[in-house]
Amino acid sequence: MNHDTGVQTFADQVKALPGGEFLERCYACGTCVSKCMIQQKGELKYNPRRLLRLAMLDLKQEAFDNPTTWLCSACDLCYTACPQEIHISGVITAVKKIAVEEGRVTPIKTARVDQQTCVGCGLCTEGCPYQAISLVEKKVPFRGMIQVAEVDPGLCMGCGICSAICRSTSIGVPEENTDNEILDDLWSWMQHQEVRN
Amino acid sequence: MVDAARQPKIDVRAFTEVEKVEGFVGNFKVTLREKAKYVRADRCNGCGACTLACPVEVPNYFDMNLAPRKAAYVPMSQSVPLIYSIDMENCIHCYKCVDACGALEAIDFSQEDKLVEEDIGAIIVATGFSHFDPSVMDEYGYARYPNVITAMEMERLNNSAGPTNGDLIRPSDNETPKTLAFINCVGSRDKRYNPSCSNFCCMYSIKNAVLLKQMNPDVDITIYYIDIRTPSKGYEEFYNRAREMGIHFSQGRPSLITEDPETHNLVVHAEDVGLGLVTEKEYDMVMLSQAAIPQPDQNHMSSVLNVAQSPGGWFMEYHPKLRPMDSPTDGIFFAGACQGPKDIPSSVAQGSAAAARASRILHSEEWEIEPTVAVVWPDRCSATTKGRACGLCVKACPYGAVKIEGDKAAEIITAKCHGCGGCVAECPEDAITQLHYTDAQILSQMRALLADKPEEKILAFRCHWCSYGGADLAGTSHFEYTANERGMKVMCSARMDSDFIYEAFRLGAGGVLYSGCHPQDCHYITGQLVGAKRASRLKKVFDRMDMTEGRFRIEWISAAEGDKYARVLNEMQDVLDNISPDDLHEEIERLKPEMSKRLKNFPGVPGVEEAMVYSDKLVQAITSQLEAK
Repeated sequence: MNHDTGVQTFADQVKALPGGEFLERCYACGTCVSKCMIQQKGELKYNPRRLLRLAMLDLKQEAFDNPTTWLCSACDLCYTACPQEIHISGVITAVKKIAVEEGRVTPIKTARVDQQTCVGCGLCTEGCPYQAISLVEKKVPFRGMIQVAEVDPGLCMGCGICSAICRSTSIGVPEENTDNEILDDLWSWMQHQEVRN
Repeated sequence: MVDAARQPKIDVRAFTEVEKVEGFVGNFKVTLREKAKYVRADRCNGCGACTLACPVEVPNYFDMNLAPRKAAYVPMSQSVPLIYSIDMENCIHCYKCVDACGALEAIDFSQEDKLVEEDIGAIIVATGFSHFDPSVMDEYGYARYPNVITAMEMERLNNSAGPTNGDLIRPSDNETPKTLAFINCVGSRDKRYNPSCSNFCCMYSIKNAVLLKQMNPDVDITIYYIDIRTPSKGYEEFYNRAREMGIHFSQGRPSLITEDPETHNLVVHAEDVGLGLVTEKEYDMVMLSQAAIPQPDQNHMSSVLNVAQSPGGWFMEYHPKLRPMDSPTDGIFFAGACQGPKDIPSSVAQGSAAAARASRILHSEEWEIEPTVAVVWPDRCSATTKGRACGLCVKACPYGAVKIEGDKAAEIITAKCHGCGGCVAECPEDAITQLHYTDAQILSQMRALLADKPEEKILAFRCHWCSYGGADLAGTSHFEYTANERGMKVMCSARMDSDFIYEAFRLGAGGVLYSGCHPQDCHYITGQLVGAKRASRLKKVFDRMDMTEGRFRIEWISAAEGDKYARVLNEMQDVLDNISPDDLHEEIERLKPEMSKRLKNFPGVPGVEEAMVYSDKLVQAITSQLEAK
């Protein structure tokens, strides 16, 4: 018997995406929330259980507005703790994917590529834990048709691994921890250690 | 229990294991291993002088290893019968107990295990349950943090006859805890360990909390839960009473317990679901309500008693709603948690029901069984025709009801046969038949169903217990499925003879569905496995014949899956709709000789010839009636 009404609800959309399959299994025990590192860092509005609930109840706009959609770094601490074996970061990624498709922009700063210096080696595509970078053939001013890296802002979490990997310093998260800033921090930290020793 | 022991018609055999169960309802032969107690039951008066004299101390299992016991011991002070025993694994043979026993001379080191055979009419299994070991859940730190204890340990600490005489103390420093956290669903409702609910933990968490609060009103108790389940009579009132007494309930499953290494206090990290915020509260002691799991030797007992196990390992009842105390084997009954986790009122109810069922057997001269039993034609059995029995029927029988002795033909022990029909379908000589489901009867039905336009029809073989129920549910729920389906009922998928499937395709059936119970639901223990094995063999044969994929389909459908039944039939209809009538006709005609070849022995089965003549007449009557219209 097919109960399909022909209308795909938001919950159906989430469940149709890989990772979102087991959304309805959640019985709201809250284990994921108390396991979450982002919640522990003081982001009180961050709550994976509530995001799953919003998705289940088809509250699409509320889900898009919820910081959980955008801040999950897919560390999967909650996945191993979940008694219902729901891949929670998978559900969150599914919600985010739909949000980006519907024109929402992530509030976090995502990586950008300097197309003038990118050599298209592809190292960053391999290093990205979120598969947010791909190599594309495109027309770049002054350089013609060449292969360069391109970041999908919907998938990028702004972790900066690409920036660390890049051999030509062509990719990075702007205004957040530039190479020089990190080196300065490291330098002062090491001096601090020397004093302590 | 003491009353039971005093009843002259009740014979309590403590320290005894069931080794072997043979026979059938009313006539079981049970072999018991009476283990050596090294104390003579006829002389021991339960004075306990041997225990006082014994110098050996070992952990006491009954006290959850929280207290010691001696090597000369009784498991608990209320033991029935009150006869001491010597734990030979730990005995140091100092013989102080012998001196202490004195003139009674009850201690006998020369005792050995005794095998006793008893005639038994009915068996009630009440082997209970075991506990999940929470030390595998790293996050709760059980066995790592001294003040994290299990509910069973709490049960002993809180008991006035327990090792602390009922004073609750912390294992780390023997202080009385002021703040306690109880965590429910430890290892239950958890797909990683036991997906099912353990039924009684909500209530015993609340009970323990109420008892502790009554003893000491200042103690602060928080119960962490996912859902509180108090569905029985008076339970919700009890839960309310606990709330009114000031016991805190916090919805949210803790994800982590950490310990202060100096004070050994514990911090429970959990989200308070009501608040939506993570709380980190410090407690003196934490109790884990661990899951109820089947006994470690449940699999062994299931093969000794020849009863099936449900998913999760519990013994399987005959029918979950109507016969929850009966096993699938006649004369064996269940009482209590061996059949599934249940609380005391339910266990008592089931135990009383099982006793009543068993007494029916003890009071009967004759016993009615299902009429659909198997019968052998000895002159067709390969033991008679070829001098050697092939034994396939013995292999197929889930109940051990088929007996082959020497070079004699197979014989069915009727009282043991439950009528699945597995042996009937497996027999390569067609030497066994099942009453009420004979080959001839099934054949006649099949020929009548496929009389008119067989290429449009989908013949669905359903087992009595599950897929027939599924089809029934699809009907009563008004799930629409193809009108070309024609259902045939047999008792079990084990009865679905390959001959029937070949014959259906030989008659030109468009599709054949081979359906039955899910393997863990089979009402004939392993009948479904016999059917499933045969079905996958048939599938390979049809694949080799190059039959269109989907015309022969194997599906396991439970009685609750009406939607699945409808979906499967609709999908099979789609397969037929996607083949052009000419192609289908060509395929049916191409395969007919192949099917006939495999059916060459079939008409020789007694009754089949007559059935063919009879059904031919029926088919003619149907078609002429249709033509007249």
